[in-house]
This record gives sequence, structure tokens and C-alpha cells, in this order.
Amino acid sequence: MASHLSHDEFFSSLTDLLSKTSQKTRGSVFLTQKPLLDSKSTASLTAGSSNLQPSILIRATDGNTNAPNPKSKDGKITKITSSKVKISTVASPDELEAFYARYAEVCKAGMSGLKKRDRKRKAKAKGGAAKGQKA
Amino acid sequence: MPYLPTSQAFLEQSALLLEAYPETTRITTKYSFPHQKKPQPSSTTNTSNTADATSTTPAPTTAPVAALTLKTFNPTAGICLKYRTNKGAEVGRLITGLGKLAGGADVASLGVAATGGTGGGMGDVEMVDAPAEDGAAAAAGAGAGAGAPGGSGKNAGGKGKKKGGKGKR
Repeated sequence: MASHLSHDEFFSSLTDLLSKTSQKTRGSVFLTQKPLLDSKSTASLTAGSSNLQPSILIRATDGNTNAPNPKSKDGKITKITSSKVKISTVASPDELEAFYARYAEVCKAGMSGLKKRDRKRKAKAKGGAAKGQKA
Repeated sequence: MPYLPTSQAFLEQSALLLEAYPETTRITTKYSFPHQKKPQPSSTTNTSNTADATSTTPAPTTAPVAALTLKTFNPTAGICLKYRTNKGAEVGRLITGLGKLAGGADVASLGVAATGGTGGGMGDVEMVDAPAEDGAAAAAGAGAGAGAPGGSGKNAGGKGKKKGGKGKR
């Protein structure tokens, strides 16, 4: 695994990745978060759930879904050099809040393929909205 | 692998799972576009009249709507909680919620906004320690609670009954 990026590098790469995927309207972006446990922090955690929070490891990848379809029209499988994007960064507990504020902004801006808030349909969609809430 | 009905229910249940297994639980957010079928080659080989007709049809087809799937998974307990949406307006709230979860927020701090009461919190904590089946039952109960805010006390009772039923079988 390549070394972790700084937050600035991570966000610029993530912006790039999300906008590319949104433009192509194809493929996926996977974002994973989990606590980063080295031996030291594990020891402190097992010692008795102390208030010492572990750092959070955040990964982003396109899972190679942006690569062209390896099957050509003839049904032959052409080998393509992997173009998988895989980036990661670490956020320590004290910078988590600032990190997630930026993270939310980047995701909001980058995930343009989702449904926009539609104000025109508001009056018409009242029945539908009620249905949605029940479900 | 239940899909939870509301984002609030997802965040609450995820908080409980993280509370129970803080070290091994991971949250994955997937932003993906649906699989696109290739246009049928037969349509292009038709006569010119139908070709004109088909050439007009692709224009109104709007761009595919992406989906956002959130998944909280714990490999050791085998519990997997999911939430899926396609609304862009929810992204900010969800990511902020993930940030709270990453910071070790408990159910009380998450739940105040939507469910209105933290009284059911104690019951919920007990649920997650139980195996996956109970997790699913708790999830269903919490979903109902989020759907009808204000009746959280009643729902806590319902959950307890549900759990008992599953345990006997």
C-alpha cells in the first residue's frame, strides 16, 4: 500500500475522481473509513476503553470500474494495464471535525449524478412524498 | 443485510454497532452509476424510417441517476447495515453523520434530532451486543421509531418483544 496522502492531496484527488465518474456517468467510487489501529493504540483500547480515540483511516478507490470493458466486440479479451485509482489518508482525532467538513463539501460537489433537489415538483409530489415517508 | 428505511436509523444503528465493536467495524460509502446496457445493434440495422424514429428516442433519455449506498459492516459479528439513496440533498447530512460516527459519537448525540427522545437508548445498547438476528430486529424497530417520532417509548417495548420471540425459536 502506498503511503497515505496529506489531506490536501487526498481531497484534490478525490475531487478529480468524483468529477470524472460523474462526467462519464459510469463506474463507482468506494469510500471507506475505519479506525487505524497500531499496536500502541490497540493496547490502550484493550486496557479499558479510555477516551483516547484512534485515528481514522479513509480510503477512496474507483475499484477499477473506470477501466474500459476488457471484452471487445469480437468477444476477445484484450489485456489492459490497470488504471485503478487508490488513495488514502489518515485523520487524527483532533482534526476529524475539520476533515469531515471538507469531506462533506467535496462529496456534495463531486456527486453530481445524484438527484437534484427539485422545487418545481413540490406541489405535485405531495402525495408521493407522503408515500415515501411511510415506506 | 437489511436496508434501513431512513438515514437517521442507519446512523443510529451504525453508532450502536461501532459502540459494540469499535475496532473492527468499517463504513463504506459507494457512489455508483447503474449498469448501462448497450444499445441493441438490431435497431441500427433497420430501414431508414425506423432509424429516424429510433434516433429521436435517445435524446429524451436523461442521464442515469447515480446511487449512494452506505454500508456499515463488522466482519467478526457478521452484521451489515445498509442505507441507499439517490438524493443529492442528503449527501452533506450523511457525511457529517459519518464524521460523528468516526469521532465516536454515541446514539444519544445522534438521535436527539429526529427521534426526539433518548429514553430508548438504554434498550438499544443491549440489542447490539446480541447476535445478528437481534440486530436486524432492532433495526426494524428503530426504523419504525424514526418513521413515527414521539412514540419512541412504545417502540422500545415492541423491540423487546421481538427479541424474545426470536430467542425462543
